[in-house]
Amino acid sequence: MDFGFKKEESELIEEVREFIEQKITSELVEETHQLGAIYGGAEAREFIKKLGARGWLTPAWPRDYGGLDSSEMVTYIIRDEMAYAGLPLYFVAAYNAGPMILRDGSEEMKREFLPPIARGEIEFALGYTEPQAGSDLAALNIRAEDRGDHFLLNGQKMFNTSTHVADYHWLAARTNFDGPKHKGISLMVVDLKSPGITIRPLITMAGWRTNEVYYDDVVVPKKNMMGEKNRGFYYLMGALDFERMFAPSAYKRLFEEIVDYARETVFNGRPLSKDPLIRQKLAQMAIELEVSKLLYYQLAYILDREKIPNYQASMEKMFATEVAQRICNTGMEVLGLYGQLKKGDPRAPLAGKLEFFYRSSVVETIYAGTSEIQRNIIAERGLGLPRG
Amino acid sequence: MQKEVWAFQGDNRMDYDLNEEQQILRDSARSFLAKQCPGTFVREMAEDEKGYTSELWRKMVELGWMGILFPEQYGGYEGSFLDLAVLLYEMGYVCLPGPYFSTVVHGGITLLEAGSEIQKGEILPKVASGEEILTLAWTESGGSYAPQEISLKADLHHDHYVLTGTKLFVPDAHVAGKIICVARTQEPAGDYEEGVSLFIVERENPGLTVHVHSTLAGDKQCEVEFNQVQVPGENLLGELHMGWPVLQKVLQKASVAKCAQMIGGGQRAIDLTVPYLKEREQFGRPVGSFQAVKHHCANILTLLDTSKFMTFQAAWRISEGLSFEKEASMCKAWVSDSYRQLVALAHQVMGGIGFMEEHDLQLYFKQAKTSELAFGDARFHRELVAQQLGL
Ligand SMILES: Cc1cc2nc3c(=O)[nH]c(=O)nc-3n(C[C@H](O)[C@H](O)[C@H](O)COP(=O)(O)OP(=O)(O)OC[C@H]3O[C@@H](n4cnc5c(N)ncnc54)[C@H](O)[C@@H]3O)c2cc1C
Ligand SMILES: Cc1cc2nc3c(=O)[nH]c(=O)nc-3n(C[C@H](O)[C@H](O)[C@H](O)COP(=O)(O)OP(=O)(O)OC[C@H]3O[C@@H](n4cnc5c(N)ncnc54)[C@H](O)[C@@H]3O)c2cc1C
Repeated sequence: MDFGFKKEESELIEEVREFIEQKITSELVEETHQLGAIYGGAEAREFIKKLGARGWLTPAWPRDYGGLDSSEMVTYIIRDEMAYAGLPLYFVAAYNAGPMILRDGSEEMKREFLPPIARGEIEFALGYTEPQAGSDLAALNIRAEDRGDHFLLNGQKMFNTSTHVADYHWLAARTNFDGPKHKGISLMVVDLKSPGITIRPLITMAGWRTNEVYYDDVVVPKKNMMGEKNRGFYYLMGALDFERMFAPSAYKRLFEEIVDYARETVFNGRPLSKDPLIRQKLAQMAIELEVSKLLYYQLAYILDREKIPNYQASMEKMFATEVAQRICNTGMEVLGLYGQLKKGDPRAPLAGKLEFFYRSSVVETIYAGTSEIQRNIIAERGLGLPRG
Repeated sequence: MQKEVWAFQGDNRMDYDLNEEQQILRDSARSFLAKQCPGTFVREMAEDEKGYTSELWRKMVELGWMGILFPEQYGGYEGSFLDLAVLLYEMGYVCLPGPYFSTVVHGGITLLEAGSEIQKGEILPKVASGEEILTLAWTESGGSYAPQEISLKADLHHDHYVLTGTKLFVPDAHVAGKIICVARTQEPAGDYEEGVSLFIVERENPGLTVHVHSTLAGDKQCEVEFNQVQVPGENLLGELHMGWPVLQKVLQKASVAKCAQMIGGGQRAIDLTVPYLKEREQFGRPVGSFQAVKHHCANILTLLDTSKFMTFQAAWRISEGLSFEKEASMCKAWVSDSYRQLVALAHQVMGGIGFMEEHDLQLYFKQAKTSELAFGDARFHRELVAQQLGL
């Protein structure tokens, strides 16, 4: 039994921290903040290539496809350190599409897409959700008609973030129109510059943008389909077990800034941090962050043993995102009236960061599977309770 | 050592890549206790004056459980703190009554931390062989583990000390042979942590009276009155006035040990509940298929899994000789709240039957509260965490 990092892992953490210190600019952090993701801007494109050059984008992939043949533990460490630095890595190409292509794609597809993904040269956008298919992904019905050497696509996607800046759409589309819903879905790579694609912005309450995407007679070559036709839903469900995770340190830095604020802010002649109630609340957050960390690294541990986390991944995602929201709420309580001051206001504590996170954290328990869906999974797979 | 803690079994249950001896210990404890300590026995012992049977005590001695933590030279097995945690988990799983915890954890760990060679040489082998039952008398009328609480006085008279005061919530003092008593040997001048000392007191000592409290879980916690109790100078445990740092360590280790019991109890609460929910039908379908019930269950499993992680992390750190103060307090705070919440949720999903005395779930409801209160509840430990955070 061992809860510590291995020597190489501890060394890697140091290396990553050094890299972050040297390579992260305030412009990059600002850009990421504006866009809601470390993707799409000029700064990010440069940064990702530097990360890719070290193999740190896809360390667990085989060397043949641009990886380091390293462990998931390493991937998880890097992602958590980056999240701590304010640059949570949620690359669709490296973490969603790439691993699926690696597992289920043809050799041709692997050769075409994996090395540039590993180098950080191309980015995908996630194309699952539709207006009528949110939690119930199998209800998606964007049509992909088989036209011999290509598919012809018509329909609409919803909340497809980064489609306006990414190179490719990682698309789930309906290829079989009768029979059970989940037996008629296929996955394909679509060039987002294809004629017939219209992207319309949807601005979130956090200020950053996601999109609606309309497909109007869009031609997608057959070779861009991943794996077998009509098996897409199974690939997707399998992939979710591998992908689902939330780097807990994304909110750890924020928590530490709230702690510093409580220490430095004197109210009625004593620092806020000496208020017993505030001490209790901050300690509770520190504890919950510790719990999140254990759940998080558990996933890497399971993956490295070539086992599949299923309910554990759901538990980690649910728990860590709910902790994220509690941290924001606790922070707001600590800041009191000041908590509402936005970035740019001269009196805004934490440079308005909490006001922003308070808004943006709302979505954490919704996307990538809502907390309710995660609880269903925990109960059904973790405890074997019957489906309703 | 490999990083082997995050392992899982095929049946999706968290297991902790225990080493071979730990697996043997766990399996043998599980089957032994299932036979020896059914729910009926737990209820019987709650009513029983002593609270345990000599027969079961002897069997536990034969299994080597008393000396699990002690060095070989004291008749022990030199087990690690993790080994102890594995055993306590199984004891928690069956709600084992009796003075094992007070003897091995309260008494044993305090002696290991502070005892002289002579004291350890005299007492620990007797504990290992089952002849000696120990406990630790710490809390007083304020009902807290804080240093301000210690007001029982020990005055030096030539070659002995005279102890006067009252201790409350002392586990198993009514059957203990020796009581380690926390006393004040110096009036506090600002810092309450100074001037606290520990004494080994024979329960048979004249001037010492024990009353057993009537408690929620029927475990035996006692009021111990010290009326001019004379204790020879050599019974001072550790350095004079320097007892508090020892107690802090004992508190942290005992907290983690308590959590090991609690997660065992939490596992049992799930084992008592979930299979029932798959069988029990209402409205023509298993109640476990209703989403309101399922989401309670998802929360139960989350509370349990996270409690296991926090406990095994802290126990592992203690075993490895790493710093453990922060992790231990985080652990006790988290598990205290979680265990109580998870049993409460288990009751909710069981419906009326879980409320019946004859159903075992209620034993765990009570165990949860008792354990939460022992060695400081969540609020108490959160304050320690706040201190660790430099607040
Ligand atoms: C900002 C943002 C960015 C996004 N980015 C992307 C992206 O890049 N690509 C992409 O494909 N998708 C993206 N999404 C979509 C996201 O994955 C969905 O919003 C999410 O899966 C929930 O679907 P929904 O919004 O349709 O809610 P619904 O599914 O309509 O859910 C509404 C409520 O009902 C509950 N509910 C639904 N089904 C059940 C059930 N079976 N049991 C219990 N409760 C249930 C939900 O938990 C929720 O509380 C994004 C969403 C947002 C808000
Ligand atoms: C001390 C005591 C005294 C009582 N006194 C009386 C009395 O005098 N007379 C009398 O007639 N009865 C009495 N009752 C019975 C009481 O009304 C039932 O216990 C209660 O209705 C719950 O039923 P159950 O215990 O069978 O639980 P179940 O119905 O088996 O419920 C188990 C769990 O499933 C949940 N559940 C069940 N159906 C659904 C659903 N559709 N959706 C979501 N969740 C669901 C429940 O909320 C519960 O969490 C008493 C019960 C107790 C414990």
